Formats: sequence, structure tokens, C-alpha cells
Amino acid sequence: MSSPPERPGTRHLVLRVAATSDLTPTVRRFVLRDPAGRPLPGYEPGAHVVVTTPAGHLRGYSLVDPGGPAPREYVVCVRRDDRGRGGSRSMHDDVTVGTDLVVTAPANTFALRPAARYLFVAGGIGITPVRAMVRWLRARPGADVRLVYLTRSPAETPFRDELGGPGDTVHHSAGGGRLDLWPYLAEPADDLRLYCCGPPALLRAVRAATAHWRPSRVHTERFAGGTEGASVPFTAVWAPDGRRVQVPADVSLLTALRRDGVRVDASCEAGVCGTCRLTLLDGVADHRDAVLTGPERVGHVMACVSRARTSEIVVGPPRAA
Amino acid sequence: MPGATAGVPPLGRVRALHVYPVKGLSAQPLERVVLRPGEGVPGDRRYALARADGRYRPGLREGLPKQEFHALVSDHRLAGLDTHLDAADVLTVRVAMDTTRHEVLRADLRTEGGRRDARRFFARVLDLPEGAGPEIAHEPGRRFTDAAAAGDGPMGWLSLVNLASVRDLGARTGTTVDPGRFRANVLVDGLPPWSELDLVDSETGQGLRLGGARVRVVRRTRRCAATEVDPATGVRDLPVVRLLDQAYGHQLMGVYLEVLAAGTVEQDDELAA
Repeated sequence: MSSPPERPGTRHLVLRVAATSDLTPTVRRFVLRDPAGRPLPGYEPGAHVVVTTPAGHLRGYSLVDPGGPAPREYVVCVRRDDRGRGGSRSMHDDVTVGTDLVVTAPANTFALRPAARYLFVAGGIGITPVRAMVRWLRARPGADVRLVYLTRSPAETPFRDELGGPGDTVHHSAGGGRLDLWPYLAEPADDLRLYCCGPPALLRAVRAATAHWRPSRVHTERFAGGTEGASVPFTAVWAPDGRRVQVPADVSLLTALRRDGVRVDASCEAGVCGTCRLTLLDGVADHRDAVLTGPERVGHVMACVSRARTSEIVVGPPRAA
Repeated sequence: MPGATAGVPPLGRVRALHVYPVKGLSAQPLERVVLRPGEGVPGDRRYALARADGRYRPGLREGLPKQEFHALVSDHRLAGLDTHLDAADVLTVRVAMDTTRHEVLRADLRTEGGRRDARRFFARVLDLPEGAGPEIAHEPGRRFTDAAAAGDGPMGWLSLVNLASVRDLGARTGTTVDPGRFRANVLVDGLPPWSELDLVDSETGQGLRLGGARVRVVRRTRRCAATEVDPATGVRDLPVVRLLDQAYGHQLMGVYLEVLAAGTVEQDDELAA
């Protein structure tokens, strides 16, 4: 499963391939360890690493094990895609036991959040982060975990031996046709979280069919190549009273401030009209507007579209012109 | 052809008519509409989802700016719901699983219980705390159009979009722009692209004939980020305002109409001088 490339400054490791095995005719498992046997940076289920393939591609791969504070190895599974841009081919063709690979420390954009109940929907190689999450949850008492796992055929089903218990629906489209997911998605509940990872068509279908859910309970793994540019959460400090406003990745600075009760005027909400200009007092903004000139960008930010490059920015009302 | 006048070539023809009974929710196609002076499309935006912490109070008789309501500009997820409000104000909401649509709400907005169900439903969809769901705003005789914030006259305007302008925007920017993004009441075709912007008329003008009604073009419509939402998916996927700005140096699409003389408008009717 691919994820957006990391931002600059992420810690890099050089890890050695300790073992490989083929889970299916197209999915190969790679076990990565420190050459000196040292423990690796910790991670939680849902995390991914970005691997530099021998041919030079940057590819994000989910870690398929539940993880922990100081794991001995990272395990990734790569599906060969001969029609892709070459990253998976390089992993399959150029990597053998003993190959050293540059790997980022794990990052997690698909983290498990607390819930009483979980529903996982995985399509094909989208099983990789889901497998880590399901194993982590089922190792704990009282886990209420259901899994719907969609693949083409039994032979193309990584981890099929371990996923097939009473809480699991493993469905193969070759022979079984397309599974109707509605019975699983019809009844949202505040104590139920949905995690979905798979090809874009599956994510689109699940997003559409969960339009009546609480959006905070629906988690879908984003794929590489998204046009939106990686938006990350940040904190906005409202200078007049020092309040700290969390701005989630999918919410604008403008909306987050307004939800917190800060009145900010806005009009186009598309970075064009200039109405929502705020004073930028500290931190570095990620300017995405079409209004501010270079010099203006030093001390201003358009709340409707722009975000932060630093984990925190301090903003205030517009200065009188 | 209803309303046709021999000898005067039409500027364009009506391709679709839409009503939006609940501000921010789905368009509903109309076969015909009876327009009356000073009023918009009957039943248009007669309900709205007012922010619980906003300025709307039941009984309020003045227009409020759009940020007092949940709508697509801030809550694009609403577009993912397939909604229908019938003549008896029963709201039905469906969601799509592949090609099948499943009903997830049916609420009679004229009853306390129905409004409570709707409020709870939208609290969930909008990810608001239980109990902080939107007020189901409804004021007899009033409509919650964006223009209503400018006064009771503008409240009664209807909106018109020229399909040629939408196509031109798509061609100039290498995109496909669904006219549904602009949530117009009247879609016309046959006019040259952007010529509708030049139809804005002085107060004393005779106006234009739209089917059997007479209308005056009163204002160009400046667009906001609500147009960035794909009406089919509820995903914010196309920076329409910025595309407009880059291609034309303005943020306009469509015009507002004021009804001068009553009449019926149907599909294929003429817009003529």
C-alpha cells in the first residue's frame, strides 16, 4: 500500500533484507532488520515506511505487523504491478536477501483510534495495514473486530490462513461476484469505527455508502499520487486570547477557527478574494492562496486555503490597512 | 412552443429547471415552474440547516449570511447525500452503495418528531456533538438563499447559469465542470459564452422574456468555494473559483433574475429580448 512521501527531515535508516517469501504469485514479503541487530524505531499498527527501491523510486509500504516500542524487524508486503511506475517491479526484481535498503522511520497516517467496536474493509493488497490493526486488536481482551476482506481469488489472498475466523468475511470476486457491502455499512454508530484500505474504486464506493456516518468514524487510507498535496494537522494559536485550535488534515484553518468560536470574515473560501486574511505572527505558513504577494506572505495568511509548515502557527485578526 | 413569438430569434433556451428545497442539499428537477413577480422558484431554499450556535432563531424575519447555515461551502459532505423533499415537507435521504440507493432517513419536517430525527441525523453527518445538531430552519414566506442576506428583494431572486459559459470554463482549463456545481434554478443554452453577464439590466429596462414570464437580469453571481464540491460525490475536487480567476480574471458564473411579470417556464422555453 502506498502512502504520500515523507516531508524532508525525516530520519532515514539503512536496513538489510533478512528474509523474503512469496505470499501469493504476485505478493512478496520482505523482512527488514538493522545490519548490526539493533532494535528499530517503534511504531503502532497502521504505520508505514518509505522505502527507496534499488531503482530509486520512493514507495510507501504499510508495516504488516502490530509493532511496538522497539521492534526487531519491519515487515512489508509488496504486490508486483507490471503496469505501475516501476517501484514494485524493482522491489521484486532487484531485492534479495542481503540487499541494503534506505528506509524512513515509521510514520502513521492511518492510526487506530479508540472505539468499542471496529469494522475493517480491505481490498487486495490493502490488507497490509489492516492485518497489523486486526492482529493488534485481537491480541487484547474484549476486542470486537469484524473484517471484510475482498480479493480476486483464494490464490490471490495474502494472509488467508490467518484471516477467516468467525468475525471475518473473506470474499473472492472471481466466482463470488461483487460483495454487497451495504449490510455492513447500513447502521453507523458512534462507538463503531470503520477502517478501509484498498484500491481507489473501493475507497470511493465505501465513502459514498458511508455518507450518513459520522465522518470522524470513517478512516480511509489515502493512496500515493493524490492531487490535494499532503495536508497534515497543525495547531493554530489565536493571538488575542492564546487559545489553541487544532486544525485536522481535512479541515481548513478558517473552519477550525470558526468551530472554536473565532469570528473570521470570509467570502470565496477558495484563496482568491482576500477577505479572510489573518496576521501571521509566528511559525511558517504553507501559502496556497492566489492573493498575497511575496512580501505580504511574510506577515499574513489566508485562512480559507493556507495551512502551516510548522507544527504550530500563531495568527491574529487582520491589521487595519 | 409555449411562449414563442414569431420573428424574434431567441437568445437561448431553457435546458433544465431546478429547485433546492433545503439549502445545501440536493437539487430537484422541475418540469415547469410558475413564476410570480418578486418571488423566486416556489419552494426554493424554504428550509435550511441553521448552525446551532449561530444567529438564526425561529421567527427571524430577516436574511442571514450563508455562514450562519450548514452548506456546501463549509460542509461539502452534505453533497454526498441524495435528498428529496416532497410537497408535504417529508425529507427522504438516501446513500448509494454501488448502483443501489438505500434510504437512511425519512422525516416529516412539519412535525416536532420529524425535525428531531432530522436534527439528530445531520448532527451525525456533520460530526457535531449529539444535541448540537442544526436547527431545521423554516420561516413561512421566506427563503434561505445566499442573496437573502442582501435584503428581502434579493431573497426573491432566482439564479440562471449559461451552459456555454460552463463549457467554456472547462475547455479553457482542461477540466470537465458539472453545471450542477453552480446550483442554479435555470440552466440555459444557446447563448454565446459569458454573454449572460452583459444582460444585467437597468431598473427601468423592459427585461427579458423567459418562457411565459418576464424577468430582469439584476446581478452577476460571484462564486464561492461551494462550487469546488462535486455534486455527484460530495468530494471537494476542483478549485472552480481559482480556475475562473486564472482564466478570466473574475469569479463570476451566472446571473440573478428578478421576476417582473408572472408566467410559466418549461424545458425548451425561450429566453428572448
